Amino acid sequence: MLDMTNRPSGLANSPATIASVRDLTVHFPSKRGMVHAVDRVSFEIRDGETLGLVGETGCGKSVTGRSFLQLLPIPPGILAQGTVTFHPHARCGACAGTGCDACNSTGRRPAACPSCTGAGCAQCNGSGAETVELLRLPEDRIRRIRGDRIAMIFQDPGKALNPTLTIGDQLSEVFLQHRTEELLDAAGIGPEDRGLAARLLGRLASQRNGSIDNLLLSLPPLRGKRNLLLDALRNNVAAALAETQIANPYQIIDRYPHELSGGMRQRVMIAQALACNPDLLIADEPTTALDVTVQARILELIKDLQKRRQTSVLYISHDLSLVRRICDRVAVMYAGRVVEIGRTDRIFRNPSHPYTRGLLHAVPTAATKRGQLMAIKGTVPELVDPPPSCRFVGRCPHEKALCRSKNPELAQIADEHSVSCFIHDAAGAADAPSFDEKTQ
Amino acid sequence: MNAMNDVSSKVDRRADDVVLAVRNVKKHYPIREGVFQSVVGHVKAVDGVSFDIRRGETVGLVGESGCGKSTLGRCVSGLSDPTGGGVYFGLSKAEVARLDTLLADGSAAAQAELAQMERRHRIDRLEGAAQRHFRRNCQMVFQDSFASLNPRQLVIDIVGRPLRVYREASGDALTERVVSLLEQVGLGRHHLYRFPHQFSGGQRQRISIARALALDPDLIVLDEPTSALDVSVQAQILNLLYELQRDRGLAYLFVTHDLSVVHHMADRLVTMYLGRVAESGDTNTVFETPQHPYTRALIAAKPDLNDDEGRTMQALEGRVPDPARPPQGCRFHTRCAVATPMCGWEVDDVVRWLESSKGVFDALEGVDRTNAFDAALRFSSEAAARNLASTLRSDAIPAAMQQALEDVTVSGGAVRVRFREVPEVELTERGPGHHAACLINPSHSSSGAN
Repeated sequence: MLDMTNRPSGLANSPATIASVRDLTVHFPSKRGMVHAVDRVSFEIRDGETLGLVGETGCGKSVTGRSFLQLLPIPPGILAQGTVTFHPHARCGACAGTGCDACNSTGRRPAACPSCTGAGCAQCNGSGAETVELLRLPEDRIRRIRGDRIAMIFQDPGKALNPTLTIGDQLSEVFLQHRTEELLDAAGIGPEDRGLAARLLGRLASQRNGSIDNLLLSLPPLRGKRNLLLDALRNNVAAALAETQIANPYQIIDRYPHELSGGMRQRVMIAQALACNPDLLIADEPTTALDVTVQARILELIKDLQKRRQTSVLYISHDLSLVRRICDRVAVMYAGRVVEIGRTDRIFRNPSHPYTRGLLHAVPTAATKRGQLMAIKGTVPELVDPPPSCRFVGRCPHEKALCRSKNPELAQIADEHSVSCFIHDAAGAADAPSFDEKTQ
Repeated sequence: MNAMNDVSSKVDRRADDVVLAVRNVKKHYPIREGVFQSVVGHVKAVDGVSFDIRRGETVGLVGESGCGKSTLGRCVSGLSDPTGGGVYFGLSKAEVARLDTLLADGSAAAQAELAQMERRHRIDRLEGAAQRHFRRNCQMVFQDSFASLNPRQLVIDIVGRPLRVYREASGDALTERVVSLLEQVGLGRHHLYRFPHQFSGGQRQRISIARALALDPDLIVLDEPTSALDVSVQAQILNLLYELQRDRGLAYLFVTHDLSVVHHMADRLVTMYLGRVAESGDTNTVFETPQHPYTRALIAAKPDLNDDEGRTMQALEGRVPDPARPPQGCRFHTRCAVATPMCGWEVDDVVRWLESSKGVFDALEGVDRTNAFDAALRFSSEAAARNLASTLRSDAIPAAMQQALEDVTVSGGAVRVRFREVPEVELTERGPGHHAACLINPSHSSSGAN
């Protein structure tokens, strides 16, 4: 069942947001000038919600999504300004991860700020929660977040999975990177052990093993412990696969990606992304490459796992009818900017930006007469050194002189609904455009 | 423009003409194995499909990936020859009726007449002028406009090529024809001397359409023409296609997986599953009263923007079986929610079921088939065999499959299973022009669906 339930935003003492993007601006240099791919994008993702990021090709939605994990090609890209802050969660102290009332039976709570231990200080803006600035995090720290606290599902599982590794090998990496202590624990090695066995297995469990390590580990005194560790790893991988309703995980482990169907590969991707129980999942068009019948099943799966674990999801898509079904809130992007953001039902019932309206009317439905689809005229503008105007100028049916000289800011027009268009600007009523009037 | 008028006067255009009649088309690809590359089986991509495309109408062809819809599109446009059956071009309504009687009639006189008819109308038997006539009247637009436009040619060469090949125009006349074609698809004279990479996806698809229009065809096969485009651009292209059809009386075969596009564009709909037609009929009728469980599943899985918020998306269980060994009876019975014992349960269903269950499949050593419904499954141990036999008698397997089982006997390490033998499910009429290949009567299918 895919329904639109409004979940409570988590805990009483938690910040309502799990991540927030402020004034994110990404430029790419080109021969003709600077391409403003993402231009002062701001939004926040609330704890436990699904936020949809919708827009057409080249609107900057994927660039925004990738910036969370420092996956952008910088250089050549330029991070002009902006921050992406993230509040990681940690295991709930009251119940040790089994689930209790204090953590809403998810077993996780926002991690406390390391400098004030939750009391609230300047560093955490008084919220008491640990705050991480993702864009400028050093490589070793972002590696610990990537795949563990924030995970990503890519559009094409055929390309995102390594064709030379078995499914088991690829999923093992997640556990070896982020669950080293647990694996060592399974092999009977505690955190205090400093012996040769502990060091060798420690290197194996954190993917730093060399050929001499492998040789020593294959000899009898260490072989038993190594096998214990590898068995634990295999069981972890199988459990992660079983979570995504793969019927026979132990058979899948030894297969290569090309042996699986598209739907199965996407399940493996989801298993990999959710293996470490992330706080935030970034799904970049996860079902675009799949058939509709499989798509429904994959979405059901994401929704179900999300409900059980209270994971927040940033769902990037171009499919409006899908977004309407699965997202709590929606942000519509056009040419590098967020033009409208708000609760899903508000946006779809009362689309208030001319672009959102155009987009909704362009989708063929049973009711539209043939040849009468309301296509948005023209094409997406090139984002090379854009003028200080509204980006929708030239395609907008309501544009006025004001739109060509000034860029409208995102402003709230109703509760949980913000739009960047002069149409809703009461003060500048004289030369502001209106929905009643059409130019041309 | 004179040349164009000549062409239209040569072809007598009548509204009830059948532009293209597809009769029992099969496309089987051989599977080769071993040192001598001997043929060990066939992938039945298209396996006996029949339908008509009438002048000026749009036929939508939908199905999941791998159902054979693109292969059929290629057979229809003559890009690949069918391995069985035929595609007939340019028949009048009376001739199609005659063709159907001839195909059904096995007598020598009928075969002789059929052979004569095939020489004139069957697209893979055409020669000379008749072949040229077919080729210029059936054009194709492909999904990937990057791959289907030569990156080293200018727009004038791409769009002007068909005109030059068919000696329709040259020199200045050619340029003018190309300009008029570009204007019809919303481009202009200033685009003549540009390369494909200088255009956006939507514009490139417009160039493809202009090229397809150049020889004023009767039929255009559109293979997922808007799948790679954004919705706002898709709307532009769909509007353009509609206008061109209205003005020129074009027929379209619209191959796509997008149901909302097909619902919007197609007059008639053909749903394909695993190389066969599951359902065909008037688009609105099919969407309002789908008769085949597969069509219903497709419609249920696709969210429509206008649906009320409470409607849930329904996934279809399982995956498409191997087209090299398509299921018996109704090909959809392995995934069907309302399957009956008569739907063609067979030995392969037991094997498929074993594959997805733990432990038992590893013990399976081989299958000795008498036919598709009767076989002995050899296991490495008698315990495994007994285990399977008892499971087959329990509730763990679908009730319909259990009822179709006629015999389960264990002898040593082998289990002999025999299912009821049923013929392949044929298309039956459900209303005027509405056909579905399903055993279930519409009156009691609607309640048990989904």
